[in-house]
Amino acid sequence: MSKTDTDSRSDTQTESQPLVDHTVEGETSEEIRDEWTNYDFDGEAKLSVSELNVYYGDDHALKDIDMEIPEQSVTALIGPSGCGKSTYLRCLNRMNDRIKAARIEGNVEFEGKNIYDADANLVELRKRIGMVFQSPNPFPKSIRDNISYGPRKHGDIDTGLLARVLGRDDGEREERLVERSLKQAALWDEVNDRLGDNALGLSGGQQQRLCIARCLATDPEVILMDEPASALDPIATSKIEDLIEELSEEYTVVVVTHNMQQAQRISDQTAVFLTGGELVEYDDTEKIFSDPESQRVEDYITGKFG
Amino acid sequence: MSQRTGISNVFDERLGDSTAFTAVAAVGALSLLATFVLFVVESDLASVALVVFVAAAAYGWLFHQAETAWGLSVLTTLVGIVVLGLILVFLFLEAEKAFETAGLSLLLRSAVPVWSPSQGIYGLQVAIHGTIVTTVIATLIAGPLGVAGALFISEIAPERVGELVKPAIEMLAGIPSIVYGFIGFAILNRYLFYELQLNTQGSLFLAGGVIGLMALPTVVSVAEDAITSVPESMKSGSLALGATDWQTMKGITLPAAFSGVSAAIILGIGRAVGETMAATVILGNVAGEFPNPIFDVFASTATLTSLIASQYGDAAETQLSALFVAGVVLFVIVMFLSLVSQLIERRMRRQLEGDS
Amino acid sequence: MSNASERGVHRDHSPLLPTVSAGVVGLSFLTFVLAWLVLFPILTPSTQLVGGVTFYDVFGLAMLLCGVALVGSGVASRTGYVPATPSATAGVTTGVVLGVLGFVVTGLFVSQTLGIDGPMGLGWFLAAFVGGAAVFVATVAPREDVGSTVPIGAFALLAGLVVLLGVIGDSWTWNPSGLAATFSGDMAVPVVALVVSLLTAWAGAKAYEGFGARGRQLGAYMFVNLNAALMLFVLFVLIAFIVYRGLPGVLRGAAVGLGTGPEVAFGLHLPFDVPFVTNSYGLRNDVNGVLPAVFGTIWLVVGAVVLAVPTGVGAAVFLTEYSREGRFTQVVEIATNGLWSTPSIVYGLFGLAFLVPRFGNSASLLAGQLVLGFMLLPLVVITTRESIKAVPDSYRDASAALGVNQWQTIRSVVLPAALPGTVTGIILGVGRIAGETAPILLVTSSSMSPFPASRFVPRVLSGFQFTAQPPFVTNTELLQASSALPYQLYALITAGVGAGAGSDADIDPWSTALVLLIVVLTFYAVGIASRSYFRRRLQE
Repeated sequence: MSKTDTDSRSDTQTESQPLVDHTVEGETSEEIRDEWTNYDFDGEAKLSVSELNVYYGDDHALKDIDMEIPEQSVTALIGPSGCGKSTYLRCLNRMNDRIKAARIEGNVEFEGKNIYDADANLVELRKRIGMVFQSPNPFPKSIRDNISYGPRKHGDIDTGLLARVLGRDDGEREERLVERSLKQAALWDEVNDRLGDNALGLSGGQQQRLCIARCLATDPEVILMDEPASALDPIATSKIEDLIEELSEEYTVVVVTHNMQQAQRISDQTAVFLTGGELVEYDDTEKIFSDPESQRVEDYITGKFG
Repeated sequence: MSQRTGISNVFDERLGDSTAFTAVAAVGALSLLATFVLFVVESDLASVALVVFVAAAAYGWLFHQAETAWGLSVLTTLVGIVVLGLILVFLFLEAEKAFETAGLSLLLRSAVPVWSPSQGIYGLQVAIHGTIVTTVIATLIAGPLGVAGALFISEIAPERVGELVKPAIEMLAGIPSIVYGFIGFAILNRYLFYELQLNTQGSLFLAGGVIGLMALPTVVSVAEDAITSVPESMKSGSLALGATDWQTMKGITLPAAFSGVSAAIILGIGRAVGETMAATVILGNVAGEFPNPIFDVFASTATLTSLIASQYGDAAETQLSALFVAGVVLFVIVMFLSLVSQLIERRMRRQLEGDS
Repeated sequence: MSNASERGVHRDHSPLLPTVSAGVVGLSFLTFVLAWLVLFPILTPSTQLVGGVTFYDVFGLAMLLCGVALVGSGVASRTGYVPATPSATAGVTTGVVLGVLGFVVTGLFVSQTLGIDGPMGLGWFLAAFVGGAAVFVATVAPREDVGSTVPIGAFALLAGLVVLLGVIGDSWTWNPSGLAATFSGDMAVPVVALVVSLLTAWAGAKAYEGFGARGRQLGAYMFVNLNAALMLFVLFVLIAFIVYRGLPGVLRGAAVGLGTGPEVAFGLHLPFDVPFVTNSYGLRNDVNGVLPAVFGTIWLVVGAVVLAVPTGVGAAVFLTEYSREGRFTQVVEIATNGLWSTPSIVYGLFGLAFLVPRFGNSASLLAGQLVLGFMLLPLVVITTRESIKAVPDSYRDASAALGVNQWQTIRSVVLPAALPGTVTGIILGVGRIAGETAPILLVTSSSMSPFPASRFVPRVLSGFQFTAQPPFVTNTELLQASSALPYQLYALITAGVGAGAGSDADIDPWSTALVLLIVVLTFYAVGIASRSYFRRRLQE
């Protein structure tokens, strides 16, 4: 998927997938002040984004985003649908490379280097910045194979006839890894007696936790979650939310949600995107929900629009 | 159709109309049946019955279009089944004589020659062997290359390149088999004959290669459909774990599309088994003796199809009937492959629907 | 095996390995192209180039160079001299490919060069098996950077030396026992070079990306892209070759200008004349042509379309609009797919058994039309069904909500919306049957001469006659045998009018093939173009 082609067929792409919608009512034109998005926090920034712009053809989907994401915490991205929050999330592990019409400019620094540099190694990048999708997407394989898929592809685990013959079978290591990942994702107790079963037989909530476990198995540092509970029922949702809070002790979690209560419950800091692909305000979650600086953000979180 | 405007006409009251229509419909159906029966028994009267049917259909179309359209659509649906049935019946009817004369030696004869019409010997083993050899060679070419081509179009090529390659491969399918055969006959046959110092012009090897090229587009387009139908979310899931595009294709996309891809290869095999003209023109169509040794792919024997096409013309009664036996064998093989690929495809559809 | 130092998101910079590997890939590619040119003797292998160097030497040298470079790359990566990210093993696929190669090479060496057959021919087999297994282990046991380069490099070195030292050269021949073929050096050297160049390019591509998952991806993509390029190339070469050989014959005596063409009506002449297409065969013709075959094909296609299109569309309408999914539709579906995959020669046999006896016991145009119609039928059903299914249900609901009955809805909403897809499918199907030879051969053209005279041009429209007795209507033209373009080509081939052997008055098979190709590919081009046009319009 070469990037040279990103501007081809742009019109049809944007029209068939309205990724950005400028027509939400209630939008008032209000200056965005830099200090609203300059979030001060203690500790290190895991990812720092500067002057990030995304275009779908002529559509300017994300405008001049500057944002520092602190490590080992939960950052929530909220905003009305079509505000570009999912697009933004997918910029952080370069999953937007898959969308041929998208053009991405700017910097996303991870470990002090821009991941959009020409010499970036996508394999290593995505291994260390994992992602969980909106609807659960387990592979049509056994639960065990789902977990060990990533490590196998990276050559960290090697099983099978050849490995056994050559005496470097990692079967035991695989079992340990599967158990650890499933336990971290709070799924072990439910599936430990049927690791060989097809993952598609699990319930929706279990499938999503399996996807989280699958992501943890590659030993990531950052986990990106794109509305991970939106396709689930309330009980499964609360399990995922508990899990996210636990994960933030060890990992940097960035989660997109359209559910403001959820953002309030699980996140340490919240970034509000509003229509037009702008980051309007970014601060401690408490501050955002109790005393936002921007009038538009206040309108949005009090339900006046969006 | 009569014009109605009143609210009371929500319930249809055209009783009188419908009896007249039923009568016409009955006449139409009976006359069509009569046409068919009369045609089968070789009577000139078939055309009279056909005229009656056309008249009944025309009347129905003018005065009861909706019902007639329904009736005609039912009849047209039956045509496919009837044709398949007729093919089956007439192939077997014509093959019967050879079976009566030669019995199972048609397929199981061990003495040489196995096929010698002048001696009244009709065994199909050499032709079957030829069909197997050419089909295996063709599948070895069309299978892997076809799947690779499908992967290229659906997963690897940039959109614009894919849009160019896809029609080109369809064009490759469009080139008539006799043209492939002619190039094989006029150019490649001679080339291999001189370069490899063969004893005969034409070889199973070359026929298989050309047939493989011809079966390739079938495999590409069916496999491409199967690969495209794997949901994007599964592929994204793999890529987000840091797998490369190629690992995703090998680890996720191809296994998920496995049934569809195997159906594509089976369809390709079906095409290869039934391919006639290229084999007829390239091969020597001698079906008397097996190549010696049996794996000599540079021998110039015959396939089932080329045997029929090359010998039907001057075939006496029993010989012609034996050629029909070859047709039966072909038909059975291809029907079997078609059924298997349909079963597999149905399974794939169910699986993927269950997934999403 | 990842360790801390390799966990960088950015790659290490060192141009050495990529540069050398790119060189290997480039050299392999050149060898590959050159090998094809020598194989299809566009170039003669023993030609003396500068300083007495032959193509043999070029191949040998290229393989030698690639081999040295690959072994060097592997060792340099293993010793850490150049940065790379190899996996623990080269993998089973590479192992099996090279194992098979090792099996073949050892087997050939033992049985052919040493002449050892062993008891029951098992001797060479055992040796080959041991050789293959050894190569397999040598490939999969070491780390990937060694396993995927050194065995291939060693093989390239060996092949290069064998060719350079003239072990396999100009006067070398090999007649394998059991095959009717004899391989000469002219054949063997380019074939060996082909195989070696593919392998070295593969290894080079892996090394270029520093091995590992990305290296394997590049290696695989190289093959997949090469495969696609070759398919395009084959298509291009086929068409170009037929145009090259056939065009002079088609254009013989051709003229462009007002009034040069044959008369159409009322003294009006076509502004061009292509006698090869507008003439029949006659002893007094300057240029003999294939007019009867052209008309035969036209009438066959017209007849097939008249039969298959209404029938197929009707069946598709019934299956999608009237009936529910159930046992009956399933049976129809199986029958349709069965008809679609039935070989054309079987259709021919069916026509011979069923239709020919009922049309005066002789080959006839009508029988051909029916058989081709039956062949076209499943294709029409399948494509029409697809395009009717693609019509959104909301259209039907909207029409039904206005009180329009089902048939009216089908006629005025569903069918028009499904028209583009249906027409495209029919055009492509027509292209297919227009080129069909086997059924025509059996039921329509069996007795036709490869040089049909003008009385064999079917004049179907003027052939209808009305009689007082049943069957009341007869058309002798429809009941007569007729030629057709694909049959014409077949007849010329079997008549021994080979490539370029004929005199000027003969009908050139290449020109016939070109006319046939133009007819068929025009249908395809129109069909494909209209499909992409309608698709684009749907997307807008």
